[in-house]
Amino acid sequence: MSTDFNLISELHDKTLVIKTEGYINSGGGEKIVKEFEKHADVNKLILNLENSKVVNSIGISHLIEVIEKLNQTDGKLVFTNLDPTIEKTFSIMGLFQFAEKADTVESALNG
Amino acid sequence: MENNSLVEKLALQVESFQEGFEILSKSFSLVEMVKNFLHLIRGNFITTEIYAFHKLKNDSNWNIISLKKISDPSYLSFLHDSTNPSIKYFEDNNIEVSITLPLSDQTFLGILIGPKLDKSKFTDLDKITLQILLQVFDSAYKSFLNQKKEKTLIFELNEKILHLNNLIDTGIEISRYNKRRILYDVSLERVCSLTNASSALIEIIKVSQNNLKKYITFPAGIEPDKILNNKFSIKSSFEQQDRIYNFILSEKETRHNTTSFTELDQLLLDSIARQVAASLENEYLHKQAIEKEKIEQELTVASSIQKRILPESLPKIEGYEIAGINIPSKEVGGDYYDCFNLGNGKYALIIADVAGKGIGAALLVSTLNAALNSYLQFDIPLTEMSDRLNKLIYKSSPSDKYITFFIAVLDSISGELDIVNAGHNPILVLRKDGTLEKLDAGGVGLGMFDFGIPFAGQKSVMNSGDRLFLYTDGIPEAMNEKEEEYSDEKMIKYFIEHSDQSSDVFIKSMVNDVKNFVGITPQSDDITALILKRN
Repeated sequence: MSTDFNLISELHDKTLVIKTEGYINSGGGEKIVKEFEKHADVNKLILNLENSKVVNSIGISHLIEVIEKLNQTDGKLVFTNLDPTIEKTFSIMGLFQFAEKADTVESALNG
Repeated sequence: MENNSLVEKLALQVESFQEGFEILSKSFSLVEMVKNFLHLIRGNFITTEIYAFHKLKNDSNWNIISLKKISDPSYLSFLHDSTNPSIKYFEDNNIEVSITLPLSDQTFLGILIGPKLDKSKFTDLDKITLQILLQVFDSAYKSFLNQKKEKTLIFELNEKILHLNNLIDTGIEISRYNKRRILYDVSLERVCSLTNASSALIEIIKVSQNNLKKYITFPAGIEPDKILNNKFSIKSSFEQQDRIYNFILSEKETRHNTTSFTELDQLLLDSIARQVAASLENEYLHKQAIEKEKIEQELTVASSIQKRILPESLPKIEGYEIAGINIPSKEVGGDYYDCFNLGNGKYALIIADVAGKGIGAALLVSTLNAALNSYLQFDIPLTEMSDRLNKLIYKSSPSDKYITFFIAVLDSISGELDIVNAGHNPILVLRKDGTLEKLDAGGVGLGMFDFGIPFAGQKSVMNSGDRLFLYTDGIPEAMNEKEEEYSDEKMIKYFIEHSDQSSDVFIKSMVNDVKNFVGITPQSDDITALILKRN
């Protein structure tokens, strides 16, 4: 499978901030899950999708996996800097029933 | 055990089973559920040696799922195969209980339980408790599978809604883009998202340029060959304006691998390709409409220039009848005619035709008109004036533009004609006795060359009853729907046969004859004529 996906992460206490770049497909989604699983104590994940404009269903299923894991420990996932198309996609797929969205990483960190 | 104590213990157990079911049901995966189940068993029987295993089929190998590493590999020998729920108890062993539990998804759970910490044996109550716990696990696992199925169904339903919504949005968005690159990028992004394609490509083949190929890929950095050479791909194509567009999707993703594209994927790809085709077609039509509007505006300007230059009326010449006409074509040619009163009974009759049409031709006619107005004020010999005009037009026009030009200065008293014909159609003189003469001496069209070759003049005389007929090629070259020309012969014949008509009547009837010949075929060139008859 081709991948055109990179991410960088920062840890702020128990909050993990992941900034993605590229297509969130199977490969991209898997990388997000792996990065999240590296940090067992995290109870809040902020996913900055500023540089990701395309997502497919497989990528979404990986994101749902992260959301479910966080919800089990009363943690939460916050999406930020969403492209309108991705925001609509997540909305239709029901992700915002279990995850939050914020305009920026800063507002998500403070929220 | 006293009754009260037993009841109390049973009540606690029931409560523990309920809690156990709730914990197990909330598990995210089978592994997590099994681990939670091992905690329940450990809590109920106070034992530390407890291991769980899982296998996909009865004849598969067991895979360990445990809270801790197995302390003695020989314990594995206590595992047993069974297609029905089975519990075996062992005496005096490090493993006291071996369980095989077939699960509702046709897989198998194996559990080994070591001795209790207090070294006591499993009582009948323990055995019942274990039996109930296994049933709790089985129920929780069924519930887990149902929830998973329900989630999958909801996901698939949402995915379908997403497809529909994306298709509508993509159609609207694609039609909005006027930059082709954005159009291609968006269509690839959307179709990958819709079909879970790993990558996609548009191949544009320019047929007129030896099948020159251009590629646009998504993701942007991927090599086109990786997509073109991939066996797991689907394609949709269309042709438009000398180009072939191939849309190719490669590798449909699953969570862990790739799979074949479905018929729905092909439909989605076809649909996006059609939307791009429609958008390109609209862009083409829009450009054509703009071009048409530009041409129409230019023609309006050209037409207004031509109308301003052409004479509203011709001067009355004592002893003569003069009439002229100009019927511009839709494309507006560069025809010109006029008659200048030079004073002292002298008049200059002019007809000209610019090679080409539109605003360029009209502007050149305007230049000629201005120059004539200036030069005719002075008594310059026609050959010299023609030379000056040639130089002026040569400098003022591009190489493909020139003017065929005829001028005759009439001395209305003597009837003498001083003539120069610069590349124009031969001008006809019909004598009273029916003799036809052609006036064609002069030179090449104005503005064609500037080699300094002098124009030749010609003299003639208009006697009583003679007619001079000046015309542009719009008359003999007028074409009917069979692509037949009106022709010089037909025009001359008409001129001769209607020589008795007054100038006004003749010129109108001649034009009507041309129109009747042409029929419904649109007029392709200006029709211009001037006739002078000496009474």
